[in-house]
Amino acid sequence: MSRLNAYALTWRLPIIIWQILFFLGPLLFMIAMSFFLVKNYRMIEAFEFKNWEKMLSRGYVWDSYWLTLGLAALSTAIASLIAFPAAFFLAFKSSENLRRWAIFLLIIPFFTSYLVRTFSWYVILAESGVINALIGNIGLGPYTMLNTKFGTIIGYLTLTLPLVVILQTVSLANVDKNLIQAAQNLGCSPWRTIRAVIIPSAKAGLIIAALFCFILSFGDFVAPYYLGGSKPPTLPILIIDTTKSGQQWPRAAVVAVMMMVTLFTIAFASIMLAYRKRVSK
Amino acid sequence: MTESLVVLDRVVKRFGTFTAVREANLTIDQGEFIAIMGPSGCGKTTTLRMLAGLEEPTEGEIRIGGKRMNTVPPHERDTPMVWQSLALFPFLNARENVEFGLKMRGVDAPTRKRRALDWLERLEIGQFAERNIETLSGGQKQRVALARSLITEPQLLLLDEPLSALDAHLVIRMQSVLTRLQRELGITFVYVTHSQSEAFAMADRVVIMAQGEIAQVGKPRDIYRAPANRFVAEFVGRNNILSGKIAGANAGFVRVETPVGTLNVQAEGTAPVTGTEASFVVAADMVHIDRTPDGAENAVQASLISEEFIGSVVTLFLEAPDGTEFKVQLQERALAALEPRTGDVFHLSWKAEDAHLLPA
Repeated sequence: MSRLNAYALTWRLPIIIWQILFFLGPLLFMIAMSFFLVKNYRMIEAFEFKNWEKMLSRGYVWDSYWLTLGLAALSTAIASLIAFPAAFFLAFKSSENLRRWAIFLLIIPFFTSYLVRTFSWYVILAESGVINALIGNIGLGPYTMLNTKFGTIIGYLTLTLPLVVILQTVSLANVDKNLIQAAQNLGCSPWRTIRAVIIPSAKAGLIIAALFCFILSFGDFVAPYYLGGSKPPTLPILIIDTTKSGQQWPRAAVVAVMMMVTLFTIAFASIMLAYRKRVSK
Repeated sequence: MTESLVVLDRVVKRFGTFTAVREANLTIDQGEFIAIMGPSGCGKTTTLRMLAGLEEPTEGEIRIGGKRMNTVPPHERDTPMVWQSLALFPFLNARENVEFGLKMRGVDAPTRKRRALDWLERLEIGQFAERNIETLSGGQKQRVALARSLITEPQLLLLDEPLSALDAHLVIRMQSVLTRLQRELGITFVYVTHSQSEAFAMADRVVIMAQGEIAQVGKPRDIYRAPANRFVAEFVGRNNILSGKIAGANAGFVRVETPVGTLNVQAEGTAPVTGTEASFVVAADMVHIDRTPDGAENAVQASLISEEFIGSVVTLFLEAPDGTEFKVQLQERALAALEPRTGDVFHLSWKAEDAHLLPA
């Protein structure tokens, strides 16, 4: 028994060490840093609540917080909605072969740097870009799409949409086909089976896909900076700005901890919702 | 005259180059309990799925209540099915599962709930109404599945090997539940199974399928006593099948020359031509076994190889000197009097009218 434990531990040890060194350690340090002070552009170890008081009492921090939360939520809703028809097609209407190819093709965007993919939107969204040129032909526009919230959302979706489609496809493909047939056999129209059977059956996977989308959007710096014009700033931009202005790493740590707490709460709530067991009486 | 509830008219179902069902003709009357039986891949489940609209016939026509159903989608039919896998919705509790069909028909929530509880009560699982599906036992799930299919009070209920996942003693209980419900409700059951005991115990008529064809349709007793062909005789089991040459005929009987002697066999209709090959069956429980010859017309000597007990019924396996095997079924009480030991030689005999000639 003890030998078996030693064997199992040997295999688990690397990941445990990795997590302690590169996740738990930095996290604890970041929390500690949020209580440090900065004097003469130098960070001094301390345990003061000044940073927290300052940051939490500033209106612009909260404006940024709600903006980031709102944009990430909007991105999650849009990604989930537009991914679903594609995932539905791949899971139920396509051949196994087509599904394999589609998932492979959906992975390809990740081969290219996200930054490169973001910059390529300039060509499409700019005042003199592809879209305005096209709709200009029918007398519309030009519309400003870069440096707007619309641009930010486009950037978020560039990052998250392929992943959401893949996760949704996998979870929909695992839905028991017998349940769908059983529902139809009991008078449920094919359209209605989506709401009555397919979504409840694939609930966990759909929620986890949405959760990934939220986490990636919420923490993304590139889209709001390059496509959203960085004003008003989202939290990741606020972190950069804070560190740049007067070496305020501790205040930036406060924002980072706020983000971590938010993500922990939302991830925990999502997982609980995804795997919630109905109460049996 | 009104048409039967269900009519299959020369129904063919092909999947690519594979023919699952070929030229099936069958009529099922209102209130009948029909069992479709056959080995795996015989087309019995495909036939049932065509009735539910889950498969579309390639050729021929299916009519239910006089209406052509070939292209009617499943959700526009009233042909609920009890699935082999049960296919209960794991995200709904027992009562909500039962309510599902009513919900789809737009019945209001209080009525749905009342009727679902009535059905669960009727199937003796009322106390589990609010339970999660995965917390129920196999037998309880089975009852939920039944209630779910019956709540819309359909004319026709389809059952796809519903008892195959249950323990033997539960199967017997569920059989009585099913037959009682079927009688009380007066609805038509089409029951697909590979189990002969289930089919013969419950059904008014049994349909035997083999390789996509309907081999025989009849009352269980008729199929057992007078199988239509060699496949049915072998599939039904506990039959002795003997082959030989026709040696002569008189007054509804033929004499067949077999390796174990010349035997008299009943021949309905035109007697086969003398000299042709012929096979016949004698049901195992129609064979009389004794230590001494009883002077009956069809007598064979054979030695005991083994015996098999199923409850109070015993099957003896014997072998004639030429190697022909015989099965004899008798009550345990009768066996005790016989005191059989392996290797003992017995005299077997049967009446000519209990032997049935198989079509060539």
